Amino acid sequence: MTAPLLSIRDLVVDFHGGPEPRRLIDHVSVDLAKGEILGLVGESGSGKSLLCRAVMGLLPSRRLSVDGGSVLLEGRDLVRASAAEMLSVRGSEIGMIFQNPTSHLDPVMKIGEQIAEGIRFHEGASGREARAAAVEMLARVGFPDPSRQYDNYPHEFSGGMRQRAMIAAALSCRPKILIADEPTTALDVTIQAQILELLLDLRESLGLSVILITHDLGIVAQTCDRIAVMRGGRLVEQGPKRQVLAAPKHDYTRMLIGSHPSLPAHEEVKPAAAHSQGRPLLEVDDLHVRFDVGGSFLRFGGRKQVSAVKGVSLQVMEGDTVGIVGESGSGKSTLARAILGLTPLSSGHVTFDGVDLARQPGKALAKLRRETAMVFQDPLNALNPRFTVAETLGEVLRVNGMPAADIPRRIDELLDLVHLGREFAGRKPRSLSGGQCQRVGIARALAVNPRLIIADECVAALDVTIQKQIVDLFAELKARMNLTLLFIAHDLAIVRNLCERVLVMYHGEVVEEGPSAEVFARPQKSYTAALIGAVPDIDPDKKLLAPRSDPAPAAA
Amino acid sequence: MSAPATRLSLTSGLSRWLGEHLSLVIGAGILGFFVLMAIAAPLVAPYDPVAQMADVRLQPPSLAHPFGTDNFGRDILSRVIWGTRVDLQIAFIGVAFPFVIGTLLGTVAGFFGGLVDTVFMRIIDIILAFPFLVLMLSIIAILGPGLASFYIAMALVGWVSYARLVRAQILVLKNSDYAVAAVSLGFSRTRIMFRHLLPNAIAGSLVFVMSDAVLVLLNGAAISYLGLGVQPPTAEWGIMVAEGQPFVTTAWWITLFPGLSIVFLAFAFSLLGDALGDLLGVHE
Repeated sequence: MTAPLLSIRDLVVDFHGGPEPRRLIDHVSVDLAKGEILGLVGESGSGKSLLCRAVMGLLPSRRLSVDGGSVLLEGRDLVRASAAEMLSVRGSEIGMIFQNPTSHLDPVMKIGEQIAEGIRFHEGASGREARAAAVEMLARVGFPDPSRQYDNYPHEFSGGMRQRAMIAAALSCRPKILIADEPTTALDVTIQAQILELLLDLRESLGLSVILITHDLGIVAQTCDRIAVMRGGRLVEQGPKRQVLAAPKHDYTRMLIGSHPSLPAHEEVKPAAAHSQGRPLLEVDDLHVRFDVGGSFLRFGGRKQVSAVKGVSLQVMEGDTVGIVGESGSGKSTLARAILGLTPLSSGHVTFDGVDLARQPGKALAKLRRETAMVFQDPLNALNPRFTVAETLGEVLRVNGMPAADIPRRIDELLDLVHLGREFAGRKPRSLSGGQCQRVGIARALAVNPRLIIADECVAALDVTIQKQIVDLFAELKARMNLTLLFIAHDLAIVRNLCERVLVMYHGEVVEEGPSAEVFARPQKSYTAALIGAVPDIDPDKKLLAPRSDPAPAAA
Repeated sequence: MSAPATRLSLTSGLSRWLGEHLSLVIGAGILGFFVLMAIAAPLVAPYDPVAQMADVRLQPPSLAHPFGTDNFGRDILSRVIWGTRVDLQIAFIGVAFPFVIGTLLGTVAGFFGGLVDTVFMRIIDIILAFPFLVLMLSIIAILGPGLASFYIAMALVGWVSYARLVRAQILVLKNSDYAVAAVSLGFSRTRIMFRHLLPNAIAGSLVFVMSDAVLVLLNGAAISYLGLGVQPPTAEWGIMVAEGQPFVTTAWWITLFPGLSIVFLAFAFSLLGDALGDLLGVHE
C-alpha cells in the first residue's frame, strides 16, 4: 500500500471553557488514501464534523484548540502550518462542502462567480480564464446549460442544483481531497442518489479522495470504500466497508447497524387483512388546499395561487396505521394541517367521525381539537421553552377539564407510557435531548386520549438510534392502545416498517396507495419505483438506482 | 493543604461569576445605591432641600456643604439626595405605562393580524412621523405642566416602540410548532396569547425597558428644564441643572452634581440592560 494522502495521527481537540479542558476529539487516527472514499459515521455530537474542521484549521470557536497529534497532508503537518499556509491549503488542496447549500452560497452573487472566485484567488487566473474554467466545472457537476447558468443566482436553483454548485465551487481549484459534511441530508432521496452518483463519478474522473461525513449507514454502504465510526470524540472502529458492515467488532457499531431502517428485500405479500367494515374514522374526499402567493393590494389582479394539495381522497379506519410518503413540497404536511383544521380548506371534504369540517366547521373543529393530536418534526421547537414537562402536560389535562387532584397521577402515567423517568417532570425542554423532547411531544399528544394522532416527520430530526426508539415506541403504543396513526415521513424504510397502509404523494396528488408490503414490493407507478430505488441500502451489493433523468432545469 | 485549596477555588469561582456578570454587578450596585438614597433621604440629607439660607448663597463645596449651595442658599447635596426620589419615580412610571400598553397592543396586533394589525401599525406610523419631543411638548402643553401630564404624554407616545418589538416577536412565534400544537390541542386564544406566546416574546422588550429608562430619565430632565415637568422649588435633577445654568461659569457645582447623578443613573440602567440581554439570551 502506498503512503496515505492524508494521515491524521492522535489528533486531540480540547474545549477550554470551564476550569478543566473538555476533550472533544480524543486521540483519533485515521488515514485517507488517494482516490479513496472514507465514510465518517456517527451521531450528532460524536465529533465527526469537528474532526474535519480541525483538519481544515477551521475550528468554530476560539475556545477550541488542537492540543496534540498531527494532520499530515503528503508529509506536511497542517496542525503546525501558519494561517497563511492554511489559506493556500484550503480550496486548492482540500475542498469542503456542507449540509445546507442554501446557507453556504452567497445569495447575492452569481453562481458562476462564486466558483470563479476561488480559481482567480488560488491560481491567479484572469477573469476570462476563470470564467471558462468555472463553466467547465459547472458542466462537469451536471449543469445542463453551464454558460447561461453561470449568470444565475443561487435562489434560481433547486436544492440539488445548489449542492452541485457547491461541489463545483469546492472542486474549482482541483483539490486532492474533498470533505463532504452531510452533503445530502437536506435533500430528497432521489436528489440524494444523484449527488452521490456525482461524487462517485468525480472520484473516477478526477482521482479525488473524499471524506464523507454522514449519519446514514446506507449512504456509506453505497459509496464508501472504508468506514470510520466515531462516538463521543473517539474512533470506535474503522475498516473496509464490507468488513465493518458484515462483522462489526464494536457494540456501538452493531447498534448503529441494527438501528438502520432498511427495506426488507423480498417478502411474501400477505393478502391485505380485510378492512374492518363500517364507517371510517377519517375520510378525506377530493381535498384541495390553495395558497395565495404574491400580489399586493397595489397590484390588482396580480394574485396567484399555488395548489399544495390537489384532489386528495383517503380513508382511515379506527386502529389503522397509514403512512404518507413523498418528497419535500409534495403536500404531505399541508394535508396533515388541513385534516386537523389548522389550514383552511379550499374545496372538498374532511370528515372526522362523521362530522364534516367544511359543513359544520364549529362542531368539527371542537371535535378535532379534543380527539386528535399532532406530533411535530422539530421536537425542541414543538415545546414551549418556558414550561417544564409537567406544566406542558398538566396544561393540556387542565384545559380538557381534568380535576386538578388527578393531574399529577396522570402525568406520571403519561411519562411511563413514553418511557421517560418521572424525574423528568420538573425539567425544561432545553435540558432534554432531542429524543427526550420528542417523547414529551408524544406524551402531550397522548394526554388528550386521542382517537387519531398525526405525526408529521416526527423522526426526521433525530439520530438513527433515537429514530428507531421513537418508531418502536409508536409501534408499541399502537399495539397497546389501538391507536389510529397517520404517519408522515420522507423516509420510506421507516414507513414500510411501521405502517400497514401507505400513500405516496407527488406534487399535491396521491399517486399510489395500498398495503405497504404490496406498494414497496411491486410499485405500480414509476415515481414510486424511483423513490424506492433511491433509498440507499445498507447492503453494499444492492446498488443504488439513481434516476437517470436530466437534472432539473434551472431558473423556474 | 486542602482547605486553602478549596477556598481558593470557591473564591475563584465567585470571582469568575462576578467577572462574567460585571455589568450586572456594577449596574445593580449603582441602582441599589440610588434606591437606598431615595429611601433614606430624610435620614442622610444634612439639610432641608427647600430651606433657603440667605447667608450661605453660592458657596463652593466645603465641609459644611460638600456639594456647595445654590443662589438661594439651598444645600446641593441635600437637593441631589431628595431629587433621587423624584427621578427614580420618573424613570419607573415613565417606562411602566408604555411597557404595559405597548406589550399588550403589540401582542394582540401580532396575534390577530389582518385589520387589527393594520390599524395599530398605521397609528404607530402616524405617531412616529412626529419628532418625539415635539409630540411630548404639545401633549403636555394641552394638559398643563406637571409630572402627571408628563406621565400621560409618555404613555401616549412611548408605547409604540414596545408594540413594534413585541409584535415582531409574536409574528415569528405564532408560527412556531408549539403555538400550532397549542391550537391543535384546543387551547383558547387568550391562553395561547398570554401563556404561550407573550412570555417567550417579551425578553427583547425587557432589555429595551432598561435603555428606555435612560431616555425617559433624560426626557424628564429635559421637560423639567423647560419648565413643563416638575415645578420648583421641588428638588429634581433636571430643574437643578436648569437653575444652575446662569451660574455655570461662576458656580459650576450647582449644575455639576445633579448632572453627574443623571449620568450615573443612566449608566446603571444601560449596564443593567446589557446584562439582562445576556442573561435572557437576546443578543444570540
